Amino acid sequence: MDQNDLLENERVEKILSPHPLSFMKLQFLCIFLIIWGLLVLWLTSVSEYETIFAEWYMVLVVWGLVLLLVGVIASLLTIRWSIFFLYLGLVAGAVAFVFWFGLQDSAGVFIPIYSVAFSILGFLLVELYRRSHKYIISNLRIIFKGGVVTKRERTLRYDKITDINAKQGILGQIFGFGTIIPISQSGFGLGSDQSFAAGGVELGTKKAGFLGIFGGGKEVQTPRARSYYELHGVHPYKEIKHLVENMVQDNVITPYQQEQVAVQKEQVDVQKQMRDLLKKQIGSKEDQKEEKPES
Amino acid sequence: MTVSPVDVVVFAPLAPLFGVLLFWFIQLMFIESQKYLLSKIWGQHKPLCRFTNFLGILYQTICHALGYTVTKSGISNFYISINYGKVAPKKEKKGIFEWMSNSFLFIGPFFIPSLLLLICFFLIIGSGIDIAQSMEYTFAEGMINFGTNLYAFSESLFSFLVSIDLLHPSHLGFLILLIFLGMGMRPSYIGEDKRRKVNMLYDLQNIKNHIFHKPLYILILFLIAYIFSYVSVLLKTNWYTSLFSIFGWLSIIAIVALSITHLIILLIKTTDEFPRYWRHLPYLTIFLSYILMRIVFYFFPIDHLRTVSLFVMVLSTIVVVFLLLKYKTNKFKTVTKMKQLRVEDGPKRSIRK
Repeated sequence: MDQNDLLENERVEKILSPHPLSFMKLQFLCIFLIIWGLLVLWLTSVSEYETIFAEWYMVLVVWGLVLLLVGVIASLLTIRWSIFFLYLGLVAGAVAFVFWFGLQDSAGVFIPIYSVAFSILGFLLVELYRRSHKYIISNLRIIFKGGVVTKRERTLRYDKITDINAKQGILGQIFGFGTIIPISQSGFGLGSDQSFAAGGVELGTKKAGFLGIFGGGKEVQTPRARSYYELHGVHPYKEIKHLVENMVQDNVITPYQQEQVAVQKEQVDVQKQMRDLLKKQIGSKEDQKEEKPES
Repeated sequence: MTVSPVDVVVFAPLAPLFGVLLFWFIQLMFIESQKYLLSKIWGQHKPLCRFTNFLGILYQTICHALGYTVTKSGISNFYISINYGKVAPKKEKKGIFEWMSNSFLFIGPFFIPSLLLLICFFLIIGSGIDIAQSMEYTFAEGMINFGTNLYAFSESLFSFLVSIDLLHPSHLGFLILLIFLGMGMRPSYIGEDKRRKVNMLYDLQNIKNHIFHKPLYILILFLIAYIFSYVSVLLKTNWYTSLFSIFGWLSIIAIVALSITHLIILLIKTTDEFPRYWRHLPYLTIFLSYILMRIVFYFFPIDHLRTVSLFVMVLSTIVVVFLLLKYKTNKFKTVTKMKQLRVEDGPKRSIRK
């Protein structure tokens, strides 16, 4: 961090980046692509199911369908349709390549190479995205920076933090990283999980029909933020969590401290009143002294 | 040959039981040795050790949950982390049900993960194992049959392992599962600081307490085993020995899995002594040598090409490790160098105390 970016009396405690394995959800998409690509190579080249893939389009159809199916499942589980569209784009790209360059006869070799090449590209993009993140913990605030093309930044002062949410998955427990979401007074750092259920009933079969739809929704607030607005996958997790909690503690005034301040204020007021009274008394005595010699 | 009735009634049912106990004890020794090795690399490979802990706790909690499911206690809470696992039942059952679910907890991790692998193994090889037929139901015959069954299974398993095709997804999956099983197969925990429990006595103590807590249940189990043995004798079948042979097979699978993980941990421990970038060379050799041999044999096929590829892979890795030990560490250097020094400097030069 540039020295000019620091505030007066500000001291940087830690500069952090997410752990290389903290974006495993994204990396897993690439890992799956590699595994599936190699499996297709095995299926079409040396396995006992080789004959099924004798026709070139079978390779493309099986590969594409499995990829799209996994894309749908992953999208439903993570509530992120971009995964499905990413895989859809990949399948469309493969089809376009095969037809454009006339690779029909070598589809069994092209598809695995295409899968592995795109997964390597995916790994590089994820790594680039990870490296764009930077979290600066100073004695006054936390600065979150991130974004590959569009640079995003969030500054959070410790006295504005109301709540700290921390989570550590199994991979995080093994490698010692975790995510810390500081929730601000304005509610920044909170997301919501929505679920909706709906059903339909049709009454009457021939002419007269009645269609009724009923449904219900549920919303649960949950700590959630973009990876560049939270301390995503920071290592060593326990140490960082302890540091942030201590910083918040140091910057937040407790009820006891508030009481103490009120008492001190009262004491100052009383002392001021006493000073004024003393001043008045001294003033009146001096007046009396000045009056006496004249008499 | 005359068969003593005392032998048939009293001693014969004990034969396969002793066999299972013997192999289970060998398994326990391997587990103990693995825990010792893991504790040696704890400092430098914490994530690996944490991962093995997680696997161990995962198997243990799954076994415990299975115990509650079998005894129809239900599961109200299932929690697992890298150093702690907890399964709470829906209904707190006492007596035999509680004892059974605890048996799953203490003894399950030794056998249940192996059972999963045994099923996978049979699915992969696509054939069964020939079971030895009993001619006489005596202690000696029981032992021989048990040993024969174990030999038949071991032969099948080792034949598969020495000709395993690492480019075949199911074979590779089986090997990975075998390694994962070997890494996690231990009921006790290797962890941080004071929670470290690195001894076999801890496991045995738990099992002993469990058995002696309710000795009546053990007696009932023995009674059931004896009745089952008598039924087998009366029906002239080999069910009794076959059942216990399966437990023996599970132990053999576990011992093989533990042996493989031993080799992996030893490799990790040895490579830790190498300088920074050189330590990756043995691992690269494993992959490259195998792939290279398979490519060569793809163009010039020979008999037993998978076995030869595996052999070359193992041999080249050992050679690379020894070369690195010789040229990149101080191993194998001290003795020869000291002798040379003494000869060059002559007998006059010696250390005076």
